[in-house]
Amino acid sequence: MEQQVDSLRAEALAQIAAATDAASLEVARLKYLGKSGAITALSEGMRNVPKEDRPKFGKILNDLRAVVTGALEESQKRLLEAADSAAFASLDLTLPGTFPTPGTLHPLTQLMDRAVRCFRRMGFAIADGPDIETEWHCFDALNTPPDHPARNEQDTFYLPDGRLLRSHTSSVQIRVMENTPPPVRIIAPGSAYRRDEVDATHLAQFTQMEGLYVAERVSLADLKGTLEFFFRELFGAGTEIQFRPHFFPFTEPSYEIDIRAAALGGEWMELAGCGMVDPAVFEEICKKRGDRAYDPEKVSGFAFGFGLERLAMNLSRIPDIRMLVENDLRFLKQF
Amino acid sequence: MKISLNWLRDFVDCQLPASDLETLLRRAGLEVAAIHERGVAIDKVVVAEILESVQHPNADRLSVCKVNDGSEHPRQIVCGAKNYKVGDKVPLALPGAVLPGDFKIKPGKLRGVESEGMMCSAKELRLAEDAQGLLILPPESVVGTPLTEIFPTETILELEITPNRADWLSHLGVAREIAVFTGSPVKNPIPPLPAHVEQASRLLSDPADKATIYTLRKISGVKVAPSPQWLVDRLAVVGLRSINNVVDITNYVLFELGQPLHAFDAAKISGDIRVRAAAEGENFHALDGKEYKLPAGSLVIADNNGPVALAGVMGGEGSGVTETTTDILLESAFFEPSRVRRASRSLGLFSDSSYRFERGVDPEGVANASARAVELILQLTGGTASEILEVAGELPPRTKISLRHDRVRSVLGLEISDAEIDAALVRVGLIHSGGSEWEIPGYRREILREADLIEEVARVVGIEKIPSRAEGLFAGSSDADLAYDFAMDLRRRLAGMGFHEARTSTLVSNADAADFGESVALKNPFGDDQSQLRNSLLPGLFAAVVRNLDQGAKSIPLFEVGRVFTPAGEFPRMALVVTGDRFSADWRGVETRSWDVFDLLGAVRDLGGVETNPLPSPPSPFGAAAEVFLHGKKIGLLGQLHPGVTRQLGANAPVLAAEFDLATWRTLVSRDRTTSPLAKFPGSVRDIAFTAPLSLPYGEVRAAIESLKEPLLQSIGLFDLFTDPKGEKIPADKKSLAVSLSFRSPERTLTADEVNAATDRIKAALRSRSGIEFRE
Repeated sequence: MEQQVDSLRAEALAQIAAATDAASLEVARLKYLGKSGAITALSEGMRNVPKEDRPKFGKILNDLRAVVTGALEESQKRLLEAADSAAFASLDLTLPGTFPTPGTLHPLTQLMDRAVRCFRRMGFAIADGPDIETEWHCFDALNTPPDHPARNEQDTFYLPDGRLLRSHTSSVQIRVMENTPPPVRIIAPGSAYRRDEVDATHLAQFTQMEGLYVAERVSLADLKGTLEFFFRELFGAGTEIQFRPHFFPFTEPSYEIDIRAAALGGEWMELAGCGMVDPAVFEEICKKRGDRAYDPEKVSGFAFGFGLERLAMNLSRIPDIRMLVENDLRFLKQF
Repeated sequence: MKISLNWLRDFVDCQLPASDLETLLRRAGLEVAAIHERGVAIDKVVVAEILESVQHPNADRLSVCKVNDGSEHPRQIVCGAKNYKVGDKVPLALPGAVLPGDFKIKPGKLRGVESEGMMCSAKELRLAEDAQGLLILPPESVVGTPLTEIFPTETILELEITPNRADWLSHLGVAREIAVFTGSPVKNPIPPLPAHVEQASRLLSDPADKATIYTLRKISGVKVAPSPQWLVDRLAVVGLRSINNVVDITNYVLFELGQPLHAFDAAKISGDIRVRAAAEGENFHALDGKEYKLPAGSLVIADNNGPVALAGVMGGEGSGVTETTTDILLESAFFEPSRVRRASRSLGLFSDSSYRFERGVDPEGVANASARAVELILQLTGGTASEILEVAGELPPRTKISLRHDRVRSVLGLEISDAEIDAALVRVGLIHSGGSEWEIPGYRREILREADLIEEVARVVGIEKIPSRAEGLFAGSSDADLAYDFAMDLRRRLAGMGFHEARTSTLVSNADAADFGESVALKNPFGDDQSQLRNSLLPGLFAAVVRNLDQGAKSIPLFEVGRVFTPAGEFPRMALVVTGDRFSADWRGVETRSWDVFDLLGAVRDLGGVETNPLPSPPSPFGAAAEVFLHGKKIGLLGQLHPGVTRQLGANAPVLAAEFDLATWRTLVSRDRTTSPLAKFPGSVRDIAFTAPLSLPYGEVRAAIESLKEPLLQSIGLFDLFTDPKGEKIPADKKSLAVSLSFRSPERTLTADEVNAATDRIKAALRSRSGIEFRE
């Protein structure tokens, strides 16, 4: 009996050790530990063993069972580990990925949104006005004399009814003050139009961002602080900003802003116009509103405006402004 | 406006290099657009005379010259130019000279012949942008003279002058500004004024005209001749061609002092001179040789025979100075800016004079400019000037403005003392006339209000002194903010779905607008292709599709968010246009498939859970289309373009398009989301398969099921659709559909019996519709 057990053990362990996969291991398990397995048969043979020998044989059998079970578990673990470590052997991670490519937002939209988010952090709300404007909103209310060159039909698009396509988004300043008492703190992104021949640097339609802040005791220092903060937020702390005295009919004093930033190619670029709202603009608003809410003796304000196309061109090194409206997917997909 | 640095130094001591001057002027508000260097700054280039020229033995195009450069021995020079003759004087670059572009001149052989230098063209010396052949120097040039002496260097600043600053349109004016910022005094020698200034009765002016100041001075016995070189050179700097000494002097004074002048030939003026309004349509022969019909109200200078000049714009033909003129009448005047501007605009006549008059000249400088011109005329042409300056009109009183120092501090946000404010204004030349009052000199007539004074203080103090304040108000969202957020959210979702954002022009052609109803036309379009404001975003996107097809794009999924215009107003829209490959074959076994209308339907559904209603007769350019509804309100249209339009676009796959009204859409959605409870009990699914007539829309099948209002039915999903045009598996006029019915109760686990019963009721309802058959 003991001999029989020894040879059975040796045979079982050899077969288990020789198993190369889960199936051959299962064959081995059934052969020894299955319902009609060899070890099971031995256990059943215990009935014929004399009572006094039973504890001894029982122990021998139990030991045998434990050894074989252990060997099975060991082999199972070994095979699983071998399979696990082979699981990715043929996986080629250099194959191209296949997730569908998402779309893109237009570079001007992205730049506009970047600017909008920055101004919103500074407490500016968005304002809006029509592209088709009255002469009053676009020029008269902005202290632009009737014979100002910008008003002629060479430079500005007119409609047969005398209205025009706004030549700047500054008309939104007027729309806002006309309808809202101070304080106002707004930005207005939108289209403006100039009757220009389209070439590498000009479009008849372009995108501007306008800003206006009117309240009590708003000063040039507020204008300077606001725009310096904005441009440094947008183009980095190292951005250099220069205010250069200039002339606009609707602000006084007026400045043009030149900036230089690594993000914009490292060259100085003329970027924005700004200034303190001219008292004549406030007077015109008072007349229109029929009240003194915008009395220039009570409130003051600053306004600014800049174009987005040239900024986008410098930012993204776009050589030709027309690329912004051609909608070539090879271009759009780069954003 | 071109300014010569040498000329400027007549009025202010300024030895700043051009680049520093540029910085200073920018600070003042004068933008320097460009700095040009003129003249020759190259050593070892001298005047040489060509003594002999023979054909080069080895090269058809070259000659071999002997030239005298002033040294003992003639030099041999090989030359390619043809425009000279023996005896001409030309610039010769000697060995050792370095021409622009780091071009070093060395002795050497050209095609086997020794050449000891190079004869130069004007271009090679950077005296001209473009020049053919050698620069032929005047015969009186002395051989051996360095070219640096003949063409002394000159720095020219090209200034961009804002329309408010007429005083900057002259060398004196720019010099004044430099003086403000450097502290150097302005050298403004007062020319000898005539002994008498008289209101002259023969200058008859319109009594209603309070603005004009008109002066004439007679100079007799002048000798009209070519101008001396210095005058020719200075006029060349500002871009003027020399005409004769008298005319050149009037132009010179214009660019020097900013006061336009005009010289009449006294012999050609008959009788009194009147400054009067032109009659409507009055004829005027201008010195450009053309005849103009004058608009009513324009101001003319007229003698007994009619207009001899259009005031401030242009002189008349036949009354100007010519070689035979001996006596001249020199006009110096102030004309009302708006009147000159109107005349100049309405006739399309623009001159250096009108440019200055319409911006406003200094009325106080009228007599000075006349005296300055007389001084030069006497110097250069001989002659005798009348002791009398005849005048019509009176100097306007100077503007006086009251300034509050506190206001300055409050507008600038700057702590600045009263004394500093006053000092700044004195520096720009304003006169403190006592108390808070300031008097404005004639050359700064645009200063009219306290705000203008504050601007001057800001300019002199410099913006760098202004502190940067970073504070502000809270801002509540406006409706425009909500609209912006809605549009931006939509854009991001569309981009996430794979669409690329386009931006197309608002201006479209007539044809592009025609398909989409009424449009708004421009009065003065730039061209026919931009004559209308778009009434749909689609034409612009179609053009983008064409462009991308031309570029070989395989998949073109585009969208745009923008405004459209109709006679009723401006409306925010969103449009989608897609064509080409929806999926491209890849190594995973995905097969190429074109975008089709169901992709678009799915995209639109994902954007907002919308319903569609097919249109039996789709509008152009669609071949198939459905209206899109949200909560029962129409928000847009989607469909597939008509095959004819598709061909026109050059597409060989379906072109799908959709356009939505964002204003309506926005009113129908909330920014706030509410949730439904998550199901606690498992659901059951039953699939049903049946055939139906090919013509029966799925929507009707779905509606038929929904109309039963089965309480446990949660959702209906189509998972198979099969048609067989050949009629082999099912009849060609039938389709086979497989629909998955999902049942669930929020309160309990369903039993098979109740699910089966509900399914049977649904099947029975469908079966009762003609043509639906279940395969059992």
